[in-house]
Amino acid sequence: MTSRLAHILSLLMFAAVPAAAQRPVTVVAVPPLTTPDDRKTSAGSTAAIAWQATQLIVSDLRSTELVPTRPDQKDFYSYPEVTAPTYSRWRSAGAGALLTGFVRAQPDGRLAVGCYVYDVKAGRALGRIGFVVAPEDWRRAAHKCSDLVYSKVIGAPGGMFDTRIAYIAQNGTGRARVKRVAVMDNDGENHRYLTAGDSLVLTPRQSPGGERVAFVSFLGGQPHVMLADAASGEQRALVPNGAISFAPRFSADGQRIAFSMMLGANSDIYLAAASGGAVQRLTQAPGVDTSPSFSPDGSRIVFESDRSGSQQLYIMNTDGSGQRRLSFGGARYAAPEWSPDGEWIAFTRRGPDGLRIGVIKPDGTGERLLTDGSGDEGASWAPSASTLLFQRTDTAGRSTLWRVALSGGPPRRVTTPQDASDPDWSGTAE
Amino acid sequence: MRRAALLLLAFGLSASEASAQLRFPGIIPRRPAQPPQQQLVGIDALRAEFVAQSGSAIVYFGGDSAVLSPGAKATLDAQARWLRQHPAVVVQIEGHADPSDTRDHALAVGARRAQEVRDYLILLGIPAAQLTVVSWGKERVAVMGASDAALALNRRVETVLVR
Repeated sequence: MTSRLAHILSLLMFAAVPAAAQRPVTVVAVPPLTTPDDRKTSAGSTAAIAWQATQLIVSDLRSTELVPTRPDQKDFYSYPEVTAPTYSRWRSAGAGALLTGFVRAQPDGRLAVGCYVYDVKAGRALGRIGFVVAPEDWRRAAHKCSDLVYSKVIGAPGGMFDTRIAYIAQNGTGRARVKRVAVMDNDGENHRYLTAGDSLVLTPRQSPGGERVAFVSFLGGQPHVMLADAASGEQRALVPNGAISFAPRFSADGQRIAFSMMLGANSDIYLAAASGGAVQRLTQAPGVDTSPSFSPDGSRIVFESDRSGSQQLYIMNTDGSGQRRLSFGGARYAAPEWSPDGEWIAFTRRGPDGLRIGVIKPDGTGERLLTDGSGDEGASWAPSASTLLFQRTDTAGRSTLWRVALSGGPPRRVTTPQDASDPDWSGTAE
Repeated sequence: MRRAALLLLAFGLSASEASAQLRFPGIIPRRPAQPPQQQLVGIDALRAEFVAQSGSAIVYFGGDSAVLSPGAKATLDAQARWLRQHPAVVVQIEGHADPSDTRDHALAVGARRAQEVRDYLILLGIPAAQLTVVSWGKERVAVMGASDAALALNRRVETVLVR
């Protein structure tokens, strides 16, 4: 029944959203995680945690193009079947993929969580993941299992659920507006502030594992790039020279930061080691060169420049050589961000209808818009490269966070405690 | 030139009001509202005087442009005249972009506009030590709204007396 419903659902999705049909819809069987021995832990019994984790995984996967089966407690399987599934059973249930897993109490009071993903049609394992966590951290373990399914079935380079969002939280309006750097888990849990709100802050950018956050602070009067340790909150200026600097972004290995700095009326792109030290100038053109973003292999940087007379996207090698224009679409293009799989560059388009989010391939083909608002900007990729976060500002100047799938469909609101802007999506350190 | 004429007109009005009161002593004269600058002291008084003498503390720009219009130059000429007479005053030149701009680009455009104003004031003989520059990007919107008129009022540089 469940699988037939999923089949019908998948057919409906094909019919209703042709734009989303770039990838075949995959039904993922998610029977309840099993436990070898129901034991009490500080966060409940292992059987109860296994069931809650299963429901969380299904809820994660429902937010993607995958179609998880509705979890059914009667769908149980034995502990040995975690690593040796009966493929025929799941094949006849209509599943293309299968997630199995277990929750086990360790002698030291912690939880061991393991997840396994299988290609049901081919009858082979796609991947597995396992870790030992405090019982209270079972949610994070479940998100990791969701990420495993998603990345293995879709072929995504990084996760989607055990991820972290940094953004600017806003209170008040006008000159009384207070802005703070905030970070939260992808599901809204563990929300906290990294800055106190005593000075204006903008554009937080996380290191790939989320350990550090670069942002722009007006502390002392001039906008300049600061680096904060996400755990301790300790901060330092990236370039302590008093110049106006902004638009920081980490390289995929977290070792380097590209950013903009003003020299007189000229804004150019510079490179600095994340650990500090001398900076290297990458662009020389008169005008505004800003919003640099590294390719995932670190060999190239996409940025915006108005050297042609209006904002356009350009790509250069990371040493500044080989600069070439990428966008020729007849509007202004800004704020590019290279996708984690290297396939796409997201941008903010400044056209007659206002600001909108779009994507273009690094070779200049495949340009299309993903949003149809009038105040959409600041796109940031999920580590999975399948979804983007952006900010939407209404005519009263209030902004909220939204996410939109690369494959299409309407954007969906991301819940935040206050008004929110400048989203940045990153993975989490192991 | 036109500003001077307006000032004369204002003086003319208050002179005729005064004579009107003299001619009709039976009427208890309404206490005129105190002009705000008379109550101001210190930096606030200086700021009010600066605005009154310069015509405006704000100059405006075209879309994405940092080019000074003839009108903006006239305002800055007047600002420079006042600043030359007050060499102890330090001003912060604050550049702004309109909210139709993107976040990073707005910071750069605000900085370019502020730098352009600073360079022009230096050209008019104001010592660099009297001038500091800052960009607010699109973070300090003066007028809300997406109309062309609202956007134009946000593309600006404000000359702010800091001491």
